[in-house]
Amino acid sequence: MAGRPSIPTINSALIAIIADEDTVTGFLLAGVGNVDLRKKTNYLIIDNKTTVKQIEDAFKEFTTREDIAIVLISQYVANMIRFLVDSYNRPVPAILEIPSKDHPYDPAHDSVLSRVKYLFSAESVASDRR
Amino acid sequence: MAAATEEQPASTGSVPRVEEVEKVHETTEGERLERDDDDDEILRFMDSVDGYLLLMDSLSSALRQGWLDLASARHSMGTSRVSSTLFDHKEQSAATKLQVIDSADMQSSEPNPHFVLSKWHLEEKPSSNDSVSAQDTKPTLRFRGSATTPEDGSHQSDAALAESLAGVDTSSHVQRARSKALSVYGALVSPKLRTAQISFETALEVIVELANSRSNMLASFSQIKDE
Repeated sequence: MAGRPSIPTINSALIAIIADEDTVTGFLLAGVGNVDLRKKTNYLIIDNKTTVKQIEDAFKEFTTREDIAIVLISQYVANMIRFLVDSYNRPVPAILEIPSKDHPYDPAHDSVLSRVKYLFSAESVASDRR
Repeated sequence: MAAATEEQPASTGSVPRVEEVEKVHETTEGERLERDDDDDEILRFMDSVDGYLLLMDSLSSALRQGWLDLASARHSMGTSRVSSTLFDHKEQSAATKLQVIDSADMQSSEPNPHFVLSKWHLEEKPSSNDSVSAQDTKPTLRFRGSATTPEDGSHQSDAALAESLAGVDTSSHVQRARSKALSVYGALVSPKLRTAQISFETALEVIVELANSRSNMLASFSQIKDE
């Protein structure tokens, strides 16, 4: 359609991670870790000392960086900043809520599925699966 | 004769009626095609939602396996040897990256990015017909010796040998890159740490598919919403 915004091609984009230590460790083993000249990383490890403000700042930073194409965030962390995650609606970077060790994935809280859920019946897919 | 005369006024009066019927048919046909397009879009949307949920299950399995292997590695190597305190904070570029392409779906008003994973950043690989898919293939893809038909004789075996050598180079490059990622935890690491690495690489592949599925879902959704 005319007026459809186009997405610039990015040839080497990064994957950012906001998750617990084990998840970040695992993805760093897979070669995703990046540290730039200013010692800024593309990941944030969440532990019991991490504040909501730190999570919000990291989320805002990762979603505004032009070299990041996907932001992985543990769903239980996304629940802490749910308003921020649900109000995000840009195509890139894509926000993906992933499960964590102690918190399995819940489709009812997924921001992407929440956006499209009104197309389903009142008994949503999530409740049927549970 | 009477039948012929009776037929004549019927034939002259039927021309406008035929045109009206044709118009009605065209309108009905157009509405039918539009409904078919709507149905196609709805089916595409439902497929993408189903695909998204299935991929999420797949991701959960891959991550669970990775966490289990990581816990086993930590148990055998010691907690202090597998810890985030060992992360290297020196300047380094990620070895696994993404390529983002606009899929140029003109029917949708929503942008539809397509993500392609580039594992272990194989920069030395010679350009092939599809350099993006070449980067995306599993590094263990190798052709051994004369597995191809012998019809072309030496030419075929030369091609197979070249591909085999390229495969070996790719594989050794990937192994070196993997070892470099593991070297943060010492020279000798538990085999469980290596399997954890593979599990998380698998999880990354699923994540990229999830991102594409998400894009398709949102594009279909915006298409349906606009109609």
